[in-house]
Amino acid sequence: MHIINQTVDLAMETLGGLGAQVFSARGVKSCKNEFNVEGGKFSLFRTTLDSALTLQAIKDHKRGVVSSNSFEETSVRLACADCLAAAEAGQPDEAWDMAHEGGGDFEEGAYAPDMDKLFARTQEMLDTITTQYPKVVVESLIVAHTQADSRYHNSYGVCYTGKTGWYEVDIMFSGHEGDKASSFNYTSIRTKSLDQPLIDLGSVRQLLEDAQNQIHTTPAQGKTEGTVVFTPGCLGGVLYELVSNYAADGVLIDGTSQWKDKLGEQVADPALTLRLAPEDARILTGEKYSQDGHASKDYALIERGILRQFMLSDYAAKKTGHTRAPNTTFALVVEPGEKPLEEIIAGIDRGLLVGRYSGGAAGTNGEFSGVAKNSFMIENGKVTHAVSETMIAGNLAGMLGKLRGISKETVADGTSVLPWLAVDGITISGQ
Amino acid sequence: MIPDIVGNLRGSFAPGAHSELRAQRSLSRRVTMLQGNLVNNTRTDSQGVSARVYQGGVYGFASQAELSAEAARQALLTATENARFLDGHAGLGKGALPDIVSGALAPQAAFTDLPQKHYLEFLRTLDSYIASRYPDLASRTLVAYADSMEKQLLTSDGFTAHTLAPRSYVYIFLNAQTKDGMPVEVFRPMGGRGTFDLQFSAPEDLYPQVDSLYEHLMKKREGVFAQAGKKTVILHGELAGMLAHEAVGHTVEADLVMGGSVAGPMLGEMVASPLVSMTDFAHTAFGEEAPLPVYVDDEGVKAEDAELIRNGRLTGYMVNRELGRHFSMRPQGNARAFAFNDEPLIRMRNTAVLPGRDKIEDMIASVEDGYYLISSNNGQADTTGEFMFGISLGYEIKNGQLGRAIFDTTISGIAFEMLKTVDRVSDRVSWSSSGFCGKKQPMPVGLGGPDLRCQVMIGGK
Repeated sequence: MHIINQTVDLAMETLGGLGAQVFSARGVKSCKNEFNVEGGKFSLFRTTLDSALTLQAIKDHKRGVVSSNSFEETSVRLACADCLAAAEAGQPDEAWDMAHEGGGDFEEGAYAPDMDKLFARTQEMLDTITTQYPKVVVESLIVAHTQADSRYHNSYGVCYTGKTGWYEVDIMFSGHEGDKASSFNYTSIRTKSLDQPLIDLGSVRQLLEDAQNQIHTTPAQGKTEGTVVFTPGCLGGVLYELVSNYAADGVLIDGTSQWKDKLGEQVADPALTLRLAPEDARILTGEKYSQDGHASKDYALIERGILRQFMLSDYAAKKTGHTRAPNTTFALVVEPGEKPLEEIIAGIDRGLLVGRYSGGAAGTNGEFSGVAKNSFMIENGKVTHAVSETMIAGNLAGMLGKLRGISKETVADGTSVLPWLAVDGITISGQ
Repeated sequence: MIPDIVGNLRGSFAPGAHSELRAQRSLSRRVTMLQGNLVNNTRTDSQGVSARVYQGGVYGFASQAELSAEAARQALLTATENARFLDGHAGLGKGALPDIVSGALAPQAAFTDLPQKHYLEFLRTLDSYIASRYPDLASRTLVAYADSMEKQLLTSDGFTAHTLAPRSYVYIFLNAQTKDGMPVEVFRPMGGRGTFDLQFSAPEDLYPQVDSLYEHLMKKREGVFAQAGKKTVILHGELAGMLAHEAVGHTVEADLVMGGSVAGPMLGEMVASPLVSMTDFAHTAFGEEAPLPVYVDDEGVKAEDAELIRNGRLTGYMVNRELGRHFSMRPQGNARAFAFNDEPLIRMRNTAVLPGRDKIEDMIASVEDGYYLISSNNGQADTTGEFMFGISLGYEIKNGQLGRAIFDTTISGIAFEMLKTVDRVSDRVSWSSSGFCGKKQPMPVGLGGPDLRCQVMIGGK
């Protein structure tokens, strides 16, 4: 921690000395230890010692940002000079500022790694897959522990220090039988403890089971309008696409958001509450403060279907006249519904259970179309068979008004907490 | 340029163990203007050393965020310890890697790191032009971006090299609204290898491309939704390149073959129309330097072209040293690492479908009812070869004539089935190199190809 304090202090002193009027420095030192598995076999043990120094300087309302990973004195001074030069070359904009208050010290997660136990848990996961999911091939498995010390300081006196540590599991796999194979699928989990077998975290077991059942596929026939049930693993990406197109900085600054005048209005079915919640106990090592030094708090973006808050940075909030979002992370928590998933599926005549979506980036009009990957057909209230070469299309905002149901079950993977979510009116097209 | 850090450390390698040492500095500069607001004005500089050591069929890797000989020695020690740990716990009992050609690549020319002011002033001029000439736009976003990788490589038994790879781009996004108030967007990246000042001598040079992009936007504003279903389409070379990279290239990366990719059992089989040939070019393609040339990879292998498909037949995989041994294939320089703290992975370089003999005008005239698909905003494929590309610019073809523009849509198919439907290949090649391929690490890659007439699934209403 000493070297971080020293570097941040040096950067603050240098930025101030060079004439920056509002400025900040954030230093991070981290160590990552990682096992890699390829094709089901251990292939690499990786240790990386990293540094990061992020500088922001505002002068005459002009802002520059420099990131460097050198804590060596000459490099820090050069980075500060670069930051000032970038700011001076910029253009004045009174919307640039930083937090005037806040600060604190925090320590959380599993700071010190147990690499022997991590190796044993990884081997156990591979062995369990071999015995319990024999049709699954692990294309890659990366298990890691990261330990990070950090300090943020800005010229208003706001200061944070942190010590965090966490384990991560990233697994990519597919089901195989003879020459037949499922599409690959993947999941990532963050955890602070190795008490549980890794395979029991998040939705790993369900996804492995699904991969075995997705080897033999049939394309959907023709084109129909139906119900799509997004799994938790798929829902996060769909909702990220949605809020990026309707509630984020860029589309509100340039005015292309179709929700720009909808604050306080109903934009979704009343069953939907969507929070960005880094303080939630199920979110591990969530954001503590924003890039501008504001302490991070939970908030509801959509509450019972009503748009309560845009996902705006401090800068974008000032440019648009709205309020700043209480955090700048995407720690997504969707409130569960009252029905079990099985009951929701039982009410669907024709639809898809979509495990992964591979689609073109939706434009600001919200129109999306893409391939339903790792997906199953739903017919007459039952999940029948896996599909391939099947596309879905709809409108991101439109589908929020056509909610069929939200499951009472949720999956927490350390970075989000999500249910299964069913929407009507999606175009499903196959051969 | 970074000073020579690893050149004198050969004596630090453990005898008989394949070892690599790499010192690397990566720079990036980004300026973004959104509706005339300077919303991003960022410079990044990342540097350090890494080492990788092979033992018993597994690797140990370590890195330090410091450019010094001492940091390199320390990284080598930790990498050796990691290799021992993993060999002891999960070693595969394999012997040394097969020999490769050793040598030294001639040093490449240094480049100038331009001040941020250069990017800002360029973008301001371009933004002013667009704002004044096209006031009816709903919005405009301009990005000036440059990055570079400088690497010093020392290997125990391959090539040594000191390489520098700068590239520079301008991205323009223009938005308008349809008469129903629906936003539509067009996007164009411009640029390629080299520093920003060499790639773009003056903002005025880009005005014709801006004008052309605006024309497409005006047509898209009057556009229609594509009709969903299997259609005859002509894929522009940019999309053919994406197909080569996403839908074929990834399935023939040997690590993904080991993971069960669809290409595993297809080596030597016909996987495409005889009109289709495909190569991952190392540094020279069609008589010119490739968009993002690679001369030596990060395992010290001297780079050469990797032929993937010849006249429709799958002829090879892309391998690293380890999997080259497994598949009895010669490593051709596909092991690439992105940052100093990244290990080399099997990656593409400049992957392209080879051109044919057809003229694009004749190809369009040959389609009664279909689409001409020009630009993409993203693409993905999986190991089954099923691919998806987002289409951000395209036109109907009706009775051999280009018709109305279409709104954003998506195409999909199974690569090795779709490639068998290719029945015309144009005589021109388009390259793109502005993005990153994602596979644990990002990586700059070039992708290219001619126009292809084929059958694909198109998503839509």
